[in-house]
Amino acid sequence: MQTWRSLQGCLSVVAMLLPALAAAQPAVKMTPPNLTGIWQAVNTANWELEAHAAEAGPVPSLGALLAVPAGMSYVVGDKIPYLPAAQAKRDANRAQRWSADPEIKCYMPGVPRANYMPYPFQIVQGTNTILMSYEFADAVRTINLTDQGPAPAKSWMGWNSGHWEGNTLVVEVTDQNDQTWLDRSGNYHSDKLHVTERYTPLGTDMLMYEATLTDSDVFTAPWTIRMPLYRRQEANAQLLEYKCIPFAESALYDAIGK
Amino acid sequence: MKKSICSIILLVGTAWLLPAQAHHSFAAEFDLEKPVELQGKVTKVEFMNPHSWIHIDVKNAKGEIEKWEIEGGTPNTLFRKGINQNTLAIGTEIVVEGYQSRDGANRASGRNLTLTDGRKLFIEGSAPVNQN
Repeated sequence: MQTWRSLQGCLSVVAMLLPALAAAQPAVKMTPPNLTGIWQAVNTANWELEAHAAEAGPVPSLGALLAVPAGMSYVVGDKIPYLPAAQAKRDANRAQRWSADPEIKCYMPGVPRANYMPYPFQIVQGTNTILMSYEFADAVRTINLTDQGPAPAKSWMGWNSGHWEGNTLVVEVTDQNDQTWLDRSGNYHSDKLHVTERYTPLGTDMLMYEATLTDSDVFTAPWTIRMPLYRRQEANAQLLEYKCIPFAESALYDAIGK
Repeated sequence: MKKSICSIILLVGTAWLLPAQAHHSFAAEFDLEKPVELQGKVTKVEFMNPHSWIHIDVKNAKGEIEKWEIEGGTPNTLFRKGINQNTLAIGTEIVVEGYQSRDGANRASGRNLTLTDGRKLFIEGSAPVNQN
């Protein structure tokens, strides 16, 4: 009986210590969420990041087809903080948007525009690298989660370095060239653009996407866009080909001879 | 007749586009009998396929600045040799050996590139490697 009592006492001491023992264990590394899948923005950001009214499209004979739908601003604080000279360039871009938008030329769209074009994109998540593959123009970018050193050259989709902050994938994008626009309305950047992207899962089928754009040649201060991205739900959802170079040839080269 | 004049104008008018864009044979564009050695400062580098282009300002015998375009290999062949936007930052002094274009323009297919630290790198312009 005595032995049984002392065994009981011992057990209760162990039971009291257990939570403390568990707390003393090193923190278990949190497994990042798996973003693998096909995603798409459902909004009018590619038409214009700032708030805009509906208006006629570029081809009068097509009437309501290809006209511009209205949209609220995707910019936190509503307006893009352009430097005065850059605002003038944005307005000039806008005036010739039906011929000068790089989307017309099938150029790879750059970041962040690639994420809110009206085409799906696929995320394939590995441990040290994450691939983002876009239907438009077959654009791709590889996000390195380990140190990849400096970019060897400027490129269309930039130099992408990522890390996890809790559930959020943070991607720093540098070394993009200055040939892409941010939307169809002439919003633009220089090759000094630095984009900090944040992908935060809100449930399994939705990501809150934020991108902060810093570019001292064009903007007075860093500014942020925010929008949800949705997982495509179709059982047979997949990226299809949108190899648009043949579609763009006439627009690009008819002027110098067919 | 009108049509043929028109095509000639078109041909001549578009010919200048070719060097920067086409994937061409060396012989169609450059002349092995016109070797050049140029010393100049990098003003712009276009890392693009199928050929990269290094733009340099070269001071000629009269002390005037001549603008030259030097053809190199694909971005990846250059990166593997350590040539990138950091080694060829704007303003970098380089020496280039290569072959001038047939039409006498300030354009050359690059063969060797020497950096100020003495490194000499083969930049794989389209010149045949088994010659010279």
